[in-house]
Amino acid sequence: MTGNGVVMVGGGLAAQRAAETLRRRGYEGRVRIVCAESEAPYDRPPLSKEVLAGSAAEESVAFRDLKWYEDHEIELLLGTRAAGLDPARHRLRLESGPDLGYDSLLIATGGVARSLPFLDHENVHALRTLEDARRLRAALLPGARLAIVGAGFIGQEVAATARGLGVEVTIVEALETPLERILGSRLGGWFADLHAEEGVEVLTGASLAGARGGDRVVELVLGDGRSLPCDLVLVGVGTATATDWLAGSGFGEGGVRVDTCGRTTVPDVFAAGDATLPFDPRHGCHSRTEHWGAAAWQGAAAARAMLGEYAGTPPLPSFWSDQYGLRIQCVGHPHLADSAVIEGSPADRDFEAVLIRNGVPVAGLAVGRPRAIPALRDLIETSDPFASNRKEAVR
Amino acid sequence: MTYLPVVDPNSCAGHGDCVDIAPDVFTLDDVAVVIGTGPPDLILKAAEACPAVAIAVVDEESGETIYP
Repeated sequence: MTGNGVVMVGGGLAAQRAAETLRRRGYEGRVRIVCAESEAPYDRPPLSKEVLAGSAAEESVAFRDLKWYEDHEIELLLGTRAAGLDPARHRLRLESGPDLGYDSLLIATGGVARSLPFLDHENVHALRTLEDARRLRAALLPGARLAIVGAGFIGQEVAATARGLGVEVTIVEALETPLERILGSRLGGWFADLHAEEGVEVLTGASLAGARGGDRVVELVLGDGRSLPCDLVLVGVGTATATDWLAGSGFGEGGVRVDTCGRTTVPDVFAAGDATLPFDPRHGCHSRTEHWGAAAWQGAAAARAMLGEYAGTPPLPSFWSDQYGLRIQCVGHPHLADSAVIEGSPADRDFEAVLIRNGVPVAGLAVGRPRAIPALRDLIETSDPFASNRKEAVR
Repeated sequence: MTYLPVVDPNSCAGHGDCVDIAPDVFTLDDVAVVIGTGPPDLILKAAEACPAVAIAVVDEESGETIYP
């Protein structure tokens, strides 16, 4: 121990949970959070919903007020970007200013929205940060024509919020149905119908060939030659791990591999959240999770690992989405499924689905019926289709 | 009529929506913790807001689970 304490790189949910866990469990050393953004740590899910709609104040997304950080002696280094890591010397390099020494380091730099090379115009938006949300909100004027590239959850939530603001919305999706790789074509098709019923033009199986305009995009050009006039564009084509700054410091590309406790292969370096490829004991492999619940759990687990404690097995993956006043919840590993059994009334936006792989339930989806979730969760947890994988992993 | 909220610590991910809705009933530790009571409507609203469906609501008199 050098008195340098814990340094966290990244000021999102994972770092916040780690900091809270350290203090709650009696850690008295120095804690510093290095945030590239100029905002204190804040919660991202409302950015595509209440904050974008203007129904929640920006301040409401802060995890804690500044006094909380003072009271808990957690130092926030805002507007500070990490530039590299020297694990042998236990030093974090910053883009400006002197290096920071650490006893334990948490990599929690999260993800960055993927961009498309031919879409770098001034009316092209992404949505990842509070600043992105401010910029997008200012442009979502009634009657504006918004083209959304990608029918993932970010694109869908922005579509729903934008419709509520009186914006004309078109979604352009390369796959035949939205969320096809996650939920399959049948359930994905339900999402396409949902948006169509709400007045969104949903173009599926539609590739993007380019964009026309000067400083601003005036129309997107589709692969089949059609053109799509628009006033602004949101690109929602997924995220990449924000781990470029680690190049050359001994971590592989495409995310930091960690065990279930957030430990890396490098001594005293831990990682949590969207920057990681956590080990999934249910599969016996490393894979990105990118869910709010995973980042929260991993941040707390990594802090406990720093203290020599064990957080236990991670919970079943789960995520939720709110669209058009409808709550959509999912537990388990839906992308593994090869079929689905639907119960209820999809047409009335009130149904649940059990997603199945080789006859074994691997995930549950509930639309407009949160009451179904506990039973779905129990079903998936007790089914355990990966028991054989796990034995191999242990061996 | 008294509604008792019961948090399942294995399901709670610490979203904190219940604390926002009913700060006199819930607080956030590692997971949400019940610290008080409140009007039935408020407790039900807090439980329904939970993205993880980690809060059950029990009618104290009948012992019946009202939610989920």
